[in-house]
Amino acid sequence: MSVAAPQLAGLVPLQSVGITPIEASLFVFVLLTAVLTALFRDVLASIVVFAAYSLGLALLYTFYRAPDVGLTEAAIGAGVTTVFLLLTIAKTTRPATDARFEAVNWPAVGICGLFVLVVGATLPAFPAVGDPAAPILANADVTGYYLANAYDETGAENAVTAVLAAYRGFDTFGEAIVVFAAGIASLLVLGREVFTA
Amino acid sequence: MSSDRLNGETPSDTRVARQRPLYSESQVIMTTVKAVIPFVLTYGLFITFHGTSSPGGGFQGGALIASVVLMIAFAFGIESTRTWLSNTLVVVLATLGVAIFAGIALVPMALGGNFLDYTAYYPVLGDVLGLKEYEFVKYGMEAVEIGGIAFIVSGVLMGLFFALAAGMTTPSSTDTDADTAADTGADTASDPSGETAGDDTADDAADTAAAGNDDQAGENE
Repeated sequence: MSVAAPQLAGLVPLQSVGITPIEASLFVFVLLTAVLTALFRDVLASIVVFAAYSLGLALLYTFYRAPDVGLTEAAIGAGVTTVFLLLTIAKTTRPATDARFEAVNWPAVGICGLFVLVVGATLPAFPAVGDPAAPILANADVTGYYLANAYDETGAENAVTAVLAAYRGFDTFGEAIVVFAAGIASLLVLGREVFTA
Repeated sequence: MSSDRLNGETPSDTRVARQRPLYSESQVIMTTVKAVIPFVLTYGLFITFHGTSSPGGGFQGGALIASVVLMIAFAFGIESTRTWLSNTLVVVLATLGVAIFAGIALVPMALGGNFLDYTAYYPVLGDVLGLKEYEFVKYGMEAVEIGGIAFIVSGVLMGLFFALAAGMTTPSSTDTDADTAADTGADTASDPSGETAGDDTADDAADTAAAGNDDQAGENE
């Protein structure tokens, strides 16, 4: 399969435009909401901010042309997870303190900051977004094969679905079973025999 | 019931300020949800059915379809939604999804192909349905996305929601009379304000009354 770069050139926009103001503000928004989620003393406030964090992430995924992932993040991360968390804290009690924020554990912040620095030091090693010399595009045996042949072989315009449901259908089958098992496990843990009754 | 248990364990916990109401009736939320759910349901079905040709698929679409039920429950009360949505529907959705997915995956093996080998249907059904070989992959994927993943995800998410709402209890008698008396319309209450407050819920009742949540309704399972 001599696919990859030449054919990909037509499929993937290859210009690297740097970071746009919208992306930058989304990054700031995601970082801010992530930190606030940890800092808020009130769990309800944390959950609301966490939903905003998920929404920001979903927008970022969409900006980086992963609409499938963005949709999942919006539906599961911002939507259903928030509902489940709200449902959970509705069954708890609220501590009677007026403090708005958690007391910050500065040694922990220092260690986290060090960790971020170490991980951040690897960032320059990554290729720029859309860089044609990036390994995922330059040596794209697998990616290139899917993008070049998915439509002819499966008739699916969405190559992501072609990979999920056809090329990697066995993995998806396992994931579907995991979701089913999660439902059964929740019943077992809660000691119930029915979902709704 | 569950809050009885929780509060019973920490009767002297001074840090406990107040119980959050699990459901309080809101005209704004009910109106908004009424207006929004037809579009969310349509969008969920669209995403499910167009998974092969546009972003999305059974997982995202199934989550959106389940979120319709979640929104209805938040607007109109979990307990009334629980009675409206039968347990059979939730269980059938989830198990039928697994059965359809497994069936579509296993039949090709009986036809001499591999697991999930959609093209194995072609020699058998190709002439009957008038489809080309690659079209069997497309329709096989769509069948798996719609009849498999969307069914499982929507069923399990709905089920998880009601299981979490009910909490760690065994199903018991639901006090709907007290609920009607409290004019909450729908949801029954672990919240004792609407019930004949037993001894175990008395201190909780004091908290709730102090918080002024007269129409508050928790859940009672």
